[in-house]
Amino acid sequence: MKVISYKKRITTALFAGLIGSTMLSGAIVAGENGHGPVKMIKVDAKKAALGKRLFFDVKLSGDSAISCATCHQPDKAFTDGLALSKAYPGSKGFRNTPTLMNAAVRKNWFHDGRIGTNLNDVTREMITEDYIMNMDMRMMQERIKQDPVYVKMFKEAGYGEPSNGSVRKAIPEFLKTLTSRNSDFDKGTMSAAAKRGYGLFNGKANCASCHSGANFTNDKPYNRGVPENPEIWADPMRHMTYVAFGTFMGIENIMNIRRDVGAHILTHKADGSDVGKFTTPTLRELKYTAPYMHNGMFKSLFEVVSFYNQGGGQDKNKDPNMKPLGLTFGEQQDLVAFLEALSGDVLNTGAHVWKDKIPSNYAAIKNWRAVKN
Amino acid sequence: MKNMKKLSTLLMGVVISAAAIGVAHAGSKVPPLVPLGDPPIPVDNKMSDAKTKLGKMLFWDPRLGGDASTACVTCHEPDQGWGFADALSRGYPGTVHWRNSQTVINSAYLKKQFWAGSAASNEKQAPSAAKGAVAGNGENDVMEARLAFIPEYRALFKEVFGTEWPLIADAWKAIAAFERTLIVKDTPVDKYLAGDKKALSAQQVRGMKLFNGKANCISCHNGALASDQKYYNLGVPTVERWNDDGLAQVTFRYEIYAKGVTQELYRKLKDDPGFYFRSKEKTDMGKFRTAPLRYTKFTAPYMHNGAFWDLKEVVEFYNAGGGQNDFTDGTISKNKTPLLKPLGLSEKEVDDLVAFLEGFSGEELRVEAPKLPDYAPLPNPATN
Ligand code: HEC
Ligand code: HEC
Ligand code: HEC
Ligand code: HEC
Repeated sequence: MKVISYKKRITTALFAGLIGSTMLSGAIVAGENGHGPVKMIKVDAKKAALGKRLFFDVKLSGDSAISCATCHQPDKAFTDGLALSKAYPGSKGFRNTPTLMNAAVRKNWFHDGRIGTNLNDVTREMITEDYIMNMDMRMMQERIKQDPVYVKMFKEAGYGEPSNGSVRKAIPEFLKTLTSRNSDFDKGTMSAAAKRGYGLFNGKANCASCHSGANFTNDKPYNRGVPENPEIWADPMRHMTYVAFGTFMGIENIMNIRRDVGAHILTHKADGSDVGKFTTPTLRELKYTAPYMHNGMFKSLFEVVSFYNQGGGQDKNKDPNMKPLGLTFGEQQDLVAFLEALSGDVLNTGAHVWKDKIPSNYAAIKNWRAVKN
Repeated sequence: MKNMKKLSTLLMGVVISAAAIGVAHAGSKVPPLVPLGDPPIPVDNKMSDAKTKLGKMLFWDPRLGGDASTACVTCHEPDQGWGFADALSRGYPGTVHWRNSQTVINSAYLKKQFWAGSAASNEKQAPSAAKGAVAGNGENDVMEARLAFIPEYRALFKEVFGTEWPLIADAWKAIAAFERTLIVKDTPVDKYLAGDKKALSAQQVRGMKLFNGKANCISCHNGALASDQKYYNLGVPTVERWNDDGLAQVTFRYEIYAKGVTQELYRKLKDDPGFYFRSKEKTDMGKFRTAPLRYTKFTAPYMHNGAFWDLKEVVEFYNAGGGQNDFTDGTISKNKTPLLKPLGLSEKEVDDLVAFLEGFSGEELRVEAPKLPDYAPLPNPATN
C-alpha cells in the first residue's frame, strides 16, 4: 500500500523537480520522507576556526603522532579510504571511519550509537580513547597553552585561557561547519537514472524507511546481516584492540567472541538478539567514503545495492523485514546513480582545512620565571 | 585491599628491624652504615625463576605502554646505570620527563619509591610508570589485551600465576620480582664493613671518617642503603632547562596540574615542590627522599633533577652548605634543612669523600637483553 502511495507522490515530486531545475536553481523542495538539503548551522566563526586548527593538530594525541584528520581526511569527506581504520600507534582499528559530514545533525554517534548526548562528548571520547588518540587531557591543555597562536585564538574566541573544556567546545563548532551542499539531489540536477533510482529508493526497494530525513538516516540500529570482516580476527593487533574495547564495555565472554557485537553493548540483551545491530549511516557523500558498512566489507555502492537486493546477509539476528527486493540489473544501477547524486562539494579548501603549518615543537615562554603559569 | 594490608605489615617488619640495628631516636643518634643484606620478599609475591624470567621480558617490552615505543628499559638502561644519563629523563614520545631517572638497582629495598616517595613498593611503582603520561602512557585494558596475544606470555603467565589469560596486575608483580634480582651488594664498602679491612683504600677510609664525622653525611645517608628514606630540602638548584625549553615547560605545568595543587600555586610554582605533593604541608616543599648512595658511580647525573654531573660536584655542593632554590630563599617558602652547614672540607678531603662514595658501587651489573616474543592470532575458541 505504502509503496504505491510513495510512487504516486514521487511522480509529482519528480515533476516538480524537473521544473525546479530550470526555474528555481537551488534546492529541491519536494523530497520524500523528510529528504532535502541539510540545513546549514550557524556557527561562531572564531570558535570554528579554532576548532579547525585543533582538528588538524597532532599535538592532540598522546605521542603527537596523529590528528583527527589522520583518520578523517577532507578529500574523502572526512573518512580514510580504509576498510578498517587506523588507530593510535601500537593498536589497529576494528571499524570503518565514518564521515563527519553532517555529524552535527545526528542523534547519536559511532557505529554502535554508544554516545547519544552531544559532540562535546564524542570529541572527548576520540581524544582520550586509548586506541584513538590516547591523550591525557591535562597534558593536552598544557601543550596548547605553550602555543602562542592558540593562546590568542582561544582568547579571541571568547574562551579565555586554553582549557580542555574549551577544546571540547571548539572542535564541535568546527564539526558543525561540515554540512553537505550542492549535491545533484539538493540542486535538483539529478540524471534520469538517478531520478528513477530515487523512485525505487522510496518505493520498491524501501530504503527510505531507515534512510530518511535530510541526512538520510533515522539514526537507529538494525541488523542487516553484514558479514564479519575476517581481518579483525586474523590480525592480532586489530583483535586485541577489540578485546580492549570490549573489556571496557563489559562484553561477556570477550576472549571467545569472534564478531563485532555492535549495539549490543548498549542493550546487553541476555538472549543476544541485539548482537550485530549497527546504526543506520548517512547516505550523503558516499562517492568519497568507500569502502562501506561498519567494517568496510563492501568496496562499491553496486556491491551494497546487490547485497540489499539479495535480501542482505546471513545472520540469525537479521532484521526479519529484510527480504530479497527483486530489482533488475538496471534498477540496481539506477539506485546506485541516485546514491551518487547525494554527494556534493568536497570541503577541502581553506574554509574547512587548516592550511598553515602547525609547529610541532614548542617555543619556550620567554622570561619564564617571571611569567605566571 | 587484602594484598595491600599484608604488604604494609611486611614493610613495618623491615622498619623495625632496621631501627633495631642502630639507635635511631629523635635525631640524636643515627644508625651506622652496615652491609646490605638480601632484599625483603613480600609474602604475596614469592620469587621463582619463571616469574623473574617473565618480569625481565616485560621490563624490556615496549608493548607495556601506550604506543608500544617506550619500555621500562628505555629510561632504565643497563649501560646508563639502569637509569637515563641526562639531567631530566627522556619522556614518552612527544614529551620530556621532569625528573631524573632513578636507577632500579636496589630499588627492591626501598619503602617508598620515586624521588618524592609516592609509591610504596615495586609492585605499586610499576603501574604508575607504565601509565603516566610522560613515562609509558599506557592503559590497563590495552596493555592487558596485548599480553593475551603473545602466546609465549600466555604460557608463562599461566605457569606463574595460574590464570588462563594474563592479568595486568600480575605483570607488575612479575616486573617487581625481576627488580628484586637487580641487587648490587658486596661492594668494597660492604666488604669493609663486614670486616675486610683491605677492601677500601687508605684514601677511602679517610673519606669514610669524614662521611661519618666532619662532613656529617651519615645523619641522612645511614643504614644499609645509606639512606634514612626521609625527606629533606637541601636547596638543590632549580632546573635551568625550564627557562628556555618549551617542551620541558609543558611537562612542568602538566606535572603540577596533574599532581594537584591550588590554583594559586599552579600559577606561581617554577620549581618542583617534591614531597609537598604527598603531604600538602607547605613546610615539605622542595623536599626529596634521601638518595641511596649505592651504585651512584654509574648513575650520573645526580639529584632529583640531575643538577650535578659528577660526585665531586655533589660533594662541593655539600661543602658549601647546600644551595638555594625557590623553597629555601622565600620565593615560595623557606624550608632548607638545618642539617646542612658549610663543612670547611679541604680540596683533599673532598677527593677523599668522593673516593669513598665510589666504594659504594662495586661491579656494574649487566644482563643480556631478552628476546621478545611476537604477537600471534588467537586460536579459535573450542565453542563459539
Ligand atoms: C585513529 C583514527 C581516528 C582518529 C585519530 C579520530 N577518529 Fe573519529 N572516528 C574514528 C572511527 C573508527 C570512528 C567510529 C568508531 C566506532 O564506531 O566505534 C570515529 C567516529 C567519529 C565520530 C562519530 C561519527 C558518527 O557519525 O557517528 C566523530 C564525530 C568523530 N569521530 C570525530 C573525531 C574527532 C573530532 C577527532 C579528533 C579529536 C577524531 N574523530 C579522531 C576514527 C578516528
Ligand atoms: C532497516 C533499515 C534499513 C533499510 C531498509 C536500508 N538500510 Fe541501508 N543501512 C542500514 C544500516 C543499519 C546500515 C549499516 C549496516 C552496517 O554498517 O553493518 C546501512 C548501510 C547502508 C549503506 C552503507 C553506507 C556507508 O557509509 O557505509 C548504504 C550505501 C545503504 N545502507 C543503502 C541502502 C539502500 C540502497 C537501501 C535500500 C535498498 C537501504 N540501505 C535500506 C539500514 C537500512
Ligand atoms: C619515560 C621514562 C621512564 C619509563 C618508561 C619508566 N621509568 Fe621508571 N623512572 C623514571 C623516572 C624519571 C623516575 C623518577 C620519577 C619521579 O620520581 O617522579 C623513575 C623511577 C623509577 C623507580 C623508582 C626508583 C627509586 O629509587 O625510587 C623504579 C623502581 C622504576 N622507575 C621502575 C620502572 C619500571 C618498572 C618501568 C616500566 C614499567 C619504568 N620505570 C618505566 C623514568 C621512566
Ligand atoms: C639533610 C640530609 C642529608 C645530608 C646531611 C646529606 N645528604 Fe646527600 N642527599 C640527601 C637528599 C635528600 C638527597 C636527594 C636530594 C634531591 O634529589 O634533591 C641527597 C642526594 C645525595 C646524592 C645524589 C645521589 C643520586 O642518586 O642522585 C649524593 C651523591 C649525596 N647525597 C651524597 C651526600 C654526601 C657525600 C653527604 C655529606 C657530605 C650528604 N649527601 C649529606 C640528604 C642528605
